[in-house]
Amino acid sequence: MRQKRVYLACFILHFLLITTISCRDTLWLVAHKLTILPWALSGPAEKAESIASGALGQNLAPSNPVRCAFLAYLHIAGIERGYGYFAPNVPVSYKLVFELHYRDGRVEYELPLANSAAAGLRVAGLLDEIGRTRYDPLREYLVKMVARSIWRDHPGATTTRAVFGTINLPSIAEFEQGKRESYQVLYAYDFSLRDDAAESHEP
Amino acid sequence: MEAWKERLRRFLFPAETDYWLAILRIGLGLQVVLYSLSLKNDWSYLFAGTGNGLISRTLSEALLSAETPFVPRLGWLVTIGERFGLPEEAILSAAWLCLLCAGCSLLIGLFSRSSAILAWFLHLCASKSGGLVSYGVDNFMTIGLFYLMLSPLPDRISLDWRLRRPSPKPPELFGFFRRILQLHLCLIYFFGGLAKSLGSGWWDGSNLWRALIRPPFNVIAPEILVKWKYLFPVAGACICILEMGYPFFIWLRRTRAIWLACICGMHVAIGLTMGMYLFASVMIILNVAAFGPGPFWAQPRAVSLTPPDQTT
Repeated sequence: MRQKRVYLACFILHFLLITTISCRDTLWLVAHKLTILPWALSGPAEKAESIASGALGQNLAPSNPVRCAFLAYLHIAGIERGYGYFAPNVPVSYKLVFELHYRDGRVEYELPLANSAAAGLRVAGLLDEIGRTRYDPLREYLVKMVARSIWRDHPGATTTRAVFGTINLPSIAEFEQGKRESYQVLYAYDFSLRDDAAESHEP
Repeated sequence: MEAWKERLRRFLFPAETDYWLAILRIGLGLQVVLYSLSLKNDWSYLFAGTGNGLISRTLSEALLSAETPFVPRLGWLVTIGERFGLPEEAILSAAWLCLLCAGCSLLIGLFSRSSAILAWFLHLCASKSGGLVSYGVDNFMTIGLFYLMLSPLPDRISLDWRLRRPSPKPPELFGFFRRILQLHLCLIYFFGGLAKSLGSGWWDGSNLWRALIRPPFNVIAPEILVKWKYLFPVAGACICILEMGYPFFIWLRRTRAIWLACICGMHVAIGLTMGMYLFASVMIILNVAAFGPGPFWAQPRAVSLTPPDQTT
């Protein structure tokens, strides 16, 4: 009987966490006006989301041991995020192209690729992560890391231009009218082998 | 109040066999093996430290440490290995090999508990160290392996049971852990479906079209897809209804089979049309283990878990 009570307490806590996290993520969508719900609900949703975040200990200091232990449990149980995959709408797709310049004037184009389809999905996930990053230095750092991996396979290249952009997908009607996917440049970074420093350009 | 408590107790601790646990163990064992093999040639490329891979593992780990320093990661293993003079490459290869072996052990049911813990730990390390290159499949594998390692292993069709004949566990314990998996799946689908329903694109089919032509999921040529354009709004709405209706219709005996078949069918379709085979397989495994055929379909009936040699 005692064992069952312990199990029950763990069960209640575990499911409270899952429900709170899922609610928080759904409320975040409403608060950021990403749903079909009236925009008037954005304010209340934002308040409710902050309450849910508070209940999850996110208002505590990052070094707080309770918060750290709490977050650790969420990660090890795989419940640290909600389940709104491809929701409320399918996000845009990103592409990263490297323009490798050689001493003899030759130019080659490369994409970050993997050896298998399974790893290819992960590379695409990384591009989504780069695209979602709002913090410019982090985005540049991530692109630079990928540029380094490309450089290892092309040691003769002296400079590299990394062009990061979105893939604009046509709607069904547009596709039927002959429109195909297009590439829109968002950021461009120039890296040189000597100083490894980037010079970024935004169109 | 007492009656309500008793009802809750009976709901959370139903008498169950370990049949579902065997499905979960074998399924996740196979999943871990496939996961390992699918990343065999890219393991170091995805998880190497600064300067050796696609993107630095140390960056993902630093971002994770900013949240909490207590989550397992490959960096821990590499640090331990370096103390013994082992290079990072060797540690990463050993971690991959151990994960593959843990998957194989789960598959046959040898050292079930230890293998489940090892598979959960190593997969979690890889998933967290590769946080920037992880996606949904990692999340669901962590959930599945977390429940598996806590569940009352070994099950009766494992090699462990045949070799060691452990003492039988209370049937209510099997029922409790199955309930957890069932309820978690209900929340996953409900909130997944709710979030989709809040987007206009799932009701007019445009999201389905976008999902299918979006790189790298564009397995089928858009020229073929466009011929089925009238199906997209229906299919989009069906996905929303299936997911949001899951926590309701999966419990009703009359609709359970159809709902389970439809959900599994949806995941098969995702696997085939978007190339997300590992994602599809882990979702099917979790669903079949949670709500698949077995004593659960013929409830209420308590099932004895006495070992065969003790029943005679």
